[in-house]
Amino acid sequence: MTMTPQRHSGPGTGRTSEVLAPSTAPAPRPRRVGAHPWVMAAAVAIAVAGAALSLNGVLRGWAWYLPVLTTVFVVALAMAVLRALRAQPFLVALGGFAALVFILTFTFFRRFSIAGFIPSGDTMEQLGRYLRRASETVLAESSPVAPNAGIVLVTCAVLGLVVILVDALAVPLALPATSGLGLVAILVVPAMVKPQSVGPWAFAAAAAGYLMILACSQWFAPADRTTADTARNPGQFRRAALTGGMALAITLLLPLAVPGFDQGTFPQGSRLNPWGSSTGLNPMISLGNSLRSPAGDGRITYATSASRPPYLRSVTVDRFDGDSWSPDDRDPSRRVGVGRMDTGYEIVADEQVRQVTAINTGRFTSPYLPAPYAPDSVNGLAGRWSWDPATLSIKGVDTNSRNQQYVVQSTAPRLTPELLSQSTTAVRGISEEFIRPPNNVPDIVRSTADTVTAGSSTAYAKAMAIQNYLRSVEFTYSLQSPVQGGYDGNGLSVLADFLTQKSGYCIHFASAMAVMARLEGIPSRIAVGYAPGRSTGGTVSVPGQGALTEYEVDSRDAHAWPELYFQGLGWVAFEPTPSRGMVPDYAAQAFTPGGAGTNENNDDLIPSNAATPGATPETPAPLPGLDSAGEAGHPLTLPLYGAAGLLVVALIAASPRMVRTGLRSRRLRRAPSSAGNTAAAAWAELRDLATDYGLAPGLSETPRHFSGRLRGSGALGGPDNADDAGARAVASLTADFERQQYGPPPGHTDGAAASGAAGAAPPSAADRIAVVQASLRRHSRPARRLRAEWLPPSVMNRWGRMVTAPFRAIARAAAIPAQAAARSWRTVRDGLRRLRQG
Amino acid sequence: MDSHRRTTVDEALPDGQVFPDSAGVAGNPLNGTRPPAMDAEAFHAASERILTAINTVIDGKAEAAKLALTVLLAQGHLLLEDVPGVGKTLLAKTLARTIDCSVSRIQFTPDLLPSDVTGVSIYNQASRLFEFRPGAVFANIVIGDEINRASAKTQSALLECMEEHQVTVDGHSYKLDEPFMVVATQNPIEMEGTYPLPEAQRDRFMARISMGYPDKDSEIEMLETHQATSPLTRVTAVVTSADVAAMIAAVQRVYVSQAVKEFTVSLGRATRESAMLRLGASPRSMLQLLRAAKATAALEGRNFVLPDDVVSVAEAVLAHRIILDRKAASTGETPHSVIRSILAKLPVPQEMSAAPSRGGRPRGGTDLRHTR
Repeated sequence: MTMTPQRHSGPGTGRTSEVLAPSTAPAPRPRRVGAHPWVMAAAVAIAVAGAALSLNGVLRGWAWYLPVLTTVFVVALAMAVLRALRAQPFLVALGGFAALVFILTFTFFRRFSIAGFIPSGDTMEQLGRYLRRASETVLAESSPVAPNAGIVLVTCAVLGLVVILVDALAVPLALPATSGLGLVAILVVPAMVKPQSVGPWAFAAAAAGYLMILACSQWFAPADRTTADTARNPGQFRRAALTGGMALAITLLLPLAVPGFDQGTFPQGSRLNPWGSSTGLNPMISLGNSLRSPAGDGRITYATSASRPPYLRSVTVDRFDGDSWSPDDRDPSRRVGVGRMDTGYEIVADEQVRQVTAINTGRFTSPYLPAPYAPDSVNGLAGRWSWDPATLSIKGVDTNSRNQQYVVQSTAPRLTPELLSQSTTAVRGISEEFIRPPNNVPDIVRSTADTVTAGSSTAYAKAMAIQNYLRSVEFTYSLQSPVQGGYDGNGLSVLADFLTQKSGYCIHFASAMAVMARLEGIPSRIAVGYAPGRSTGGTVSVPGQGALTEYEVDSRDAHAWPELYFQGLGWVAFEPTPSRGMVPDYAAQAFTPGGAGTNENNDDLIPSNAATPGATPETPAPLPGLDSAGEAGHPLTLPLYGAAGLLVVALIAASPRMVRTGLRSRRLRRAPSSAGNTAAAAWAELRDLATDYGLAPGLSETPRHFSGRLRGSGALGGPDNADDAGARAVASLTADFERQQYGPPPGHTDGAAASGAAGAAPPSAADRIAVVQASLRRHSRPARRLRAEWLPPSVMNRWGRMVTAPFRAIARAAAIPAQAAARSWRTVRDGLRRLRQG
Repeated sequence: MDSHRRTTVDEALPDGQVFPDSAGVAGNPLNGTRPPAMDAEAFHAASERILTAINTVIDGKAEAAKLALTVLLAQGHLLLEDVPGVGKTLLAKTLARTIDCSVSRIQFTPDLLPSDVTGVSIYNQASRLFEFRPGAVFANIVIGDEINRASAKTQSALLECMEEHQVTVDGHSYKLDEPFMVVATQNPIEMEGTYPLPEAQRDRFMARISMGYPDKDSEIEMLETHQATSPLTRVTAVVTSADVAAMIAAVQRVYVSQAVKEFTVSLGRATRESAMLRLGASPRSMLQLLRAAKATAALEGRNFVLPDDVVSVAEAVLAHRIILDRKAASTGETPHSVIRSILAKLPVPQEMSAAPSRGGRPRGGTDLRHTR
């Protein structure tokens, strides 16, 4: 830990400090540390602040970025100052931590602290409040979340800690390459949460900062390994390019070669959804993930008085502008208290159907409450809930849907095709938001809508035309093809892709119908929730209703469907998605191919489910969906995958041997001009050879002792089957190395020439190494020989050291305070003892 | 005896055995003279003659004899410490006899005065002048028997001579002859009425050797050969003092690489940082350790020092200078065992940034190119 990089006065240090220091190091101290701390701190701060750019989209807007920026730069500056004052590395980290605490206190708890920046008891109280708020936000809100104080505090604290971590890795631990881990830790969050992933700018900024860290550490504290002989080596660039190219190729090819990369744990390519069914995210985005998740999390059970299980609706999407659609919470107009809710529009239908639905959400966690449409009242909820008069979506004020049991009373008019056909009066009484067609609609959407609805006069006829078009055999239901086509998610451009490819899932069908309906003048919105579920076989007794059949849904039933507004009838759900959900009676008129009625939800999609054998007889051929696509792909891809897998396994198995062979040939191929290097390289090779055959040289073993042990061990043949050639080769390699390493340098005195002439006679180092290797091979047991060739301990140990290096560094760092504590304890103990005696 | 030596002198290695000619680069830094360095073959022959002569007198103590010669060639002083009757004085006398040089012997007693060691100015009635009468220390090899029996005053009189190779009496300094070596013996068992050597004085002895009891065969042989007459009487000088000076010059020309210097220094630092030691090795001891290592290398016919040379003399050179921690002493550790355990953990520099082990190795220094 004492290896402060300032001590290495690299060849360029003087020059850089002249260039960079004047502005930053005002008072030249007697012992100059140069610009290193400042440049390094700037690099770290830029890297972290750059990586933090990617959090836009996880947090809404940019208001949160200023506190983040202050925190990052204050912490980095504090550490730079301490380092410029030549503080111990441990103190530097401690100082960074203190600076972090001060700046956080100053930013967030100025009024609750001492002197504006020193934390006090009040601060802790406030901190607890902020943290609770942050955790609620994380659990309940969908991304991008509003940047409230709690979440910004947590973000700032985490980023400040990352600065300390990155700095600690880069400077005192001298592991600048590992400091990238801290930056990756930041980038992982948007990569998982945001549909656009990290984003090019944030990635570029983080990468630039990281490269700066690497450059700084190389510039100011050059590693022995790289400066020794490769710095001036022209092959360095070639090697770097080769390594980079190979890494890129593997990154691109591996997902193709590894089966199951786009399903299972990696439902969306490499985008993870570790929260399972938790929809603290944009429900539109998580829908695809939920549908693709093989397990089915977030099980909800419910019992209803309706004859058929209803759609459970969580939230609606009604703004179709922009790249990514998300629900509009309309928080200002929300009303708290869900005991009585009102649709707000007039229903003129003769017959209204009342339903009672008892729902148990179990572990399903979301800010929105699933309920059948249109809810009149919800009873039995814990916590405070609010509802949006425009959409009747129910959202928690200070709670979420986890472990809620509640009863929903809902009312809907009994709809018939006739009723819907008669609804021709102009729409009024609903918000303009549902009517206004989106801007920048792609041409294909508009033209498709016009073509499909040509010849239909009434709104209902147009809606039916669109639905029938989308349910026609032209379209296939697929969870995979949008991913492969690169248009998973939503948005108008995605919609255009969908209409071209004619393959997608409920999001695409529902948004296509909703947008086309708006273009045709029908108010529309997309409802997100659950398709009707499966019967569990059990019953639930609901007060006032008796025993009701229980149904269940889970993440695989997640669904989106369009709702169209008909004057006098209200919002009416349609089902344009083939093979999913249940086409309502009123929308099933004159419709044939897709299996109108009970396509008992998505049994055909999930083979593990108990299939309904008597599946809809009117379905002549199942819609070409996921299954058939999968079947078609198998015959060819399976052997391909198998071969690729075998290749990868073989490569992995052979890699130690390849590394070992490469190392050997590199060592022995040294140019003969650098005679000194040859002897040292041959010696290193001899040590590794001995290690491979179980005679590892000790760290404190002198070359001569090791050589003697090797020759006396019998590994080169015992006294009975003596192999003089091997022993002689070892002896002469040892002598060469000793003379090179410890002997006088050439030109030291005239005597050196004579000794050099004496060493010129034996064969080349490579030949001698070959002799030793052959001898070791001949005199070792087969098991050891096999290990030496395929799992050479010299390589395996080196890899093991590389893997454990960070942990050892941490252990070393931790040992310092431990030792200090032990020392001070000894001092205290001795003092006490003296006190008692004296 | 012969087989014993083979383990230390490794004939299998074709070492650079050619010593540089006497180009006069290095001289004797102590007296400024520049005796011609002996070449490798003559050096080897001379050292063989000395060792053979000693070994005919003292049976089974080849190792001790070689260390004694090493100290002589490294211009150090030797402390022989062991129980009575194992041949301490015999070794010292034999070594002195094999060389054709002046030898004096001081038997230290509590009433010995400093002037007995250094010499005294006496008024000459005839010439009416004060005349310096050299003391016992004016000889090439001074044998100080039972040195711990003399008072501290007398012991310290020896100090100046040992360190500076000169005697100062009445404000006048007299140079001592080269080579100059003090071989002191002391008895660690019978401490009654003795003045144990203080640390400062112990530090001036390059090495301390314990003779140890001879093995069974050697002891039987000793009984046979030493019955009638002392074998010492048969010993004649095999080298001249000029030869020894030339050998010393050859030792001074032995090359020490940066790697070995750093190894030596890290050994010294390790003794200072060791939790088992109250006092570690001094910088002076590092200098003496390296000189002894150079002599060892030369005796093995090499013109450069290996870490092995440092290791082989480390115990003898360092053990009497370090002081154990109370706790370590109570757990049965000895200075020798502590030095052995430190050596067992000390990394030997032998890779030119070939291994990627950034962790355990002391930074830098393994790369010779930085030093040129």
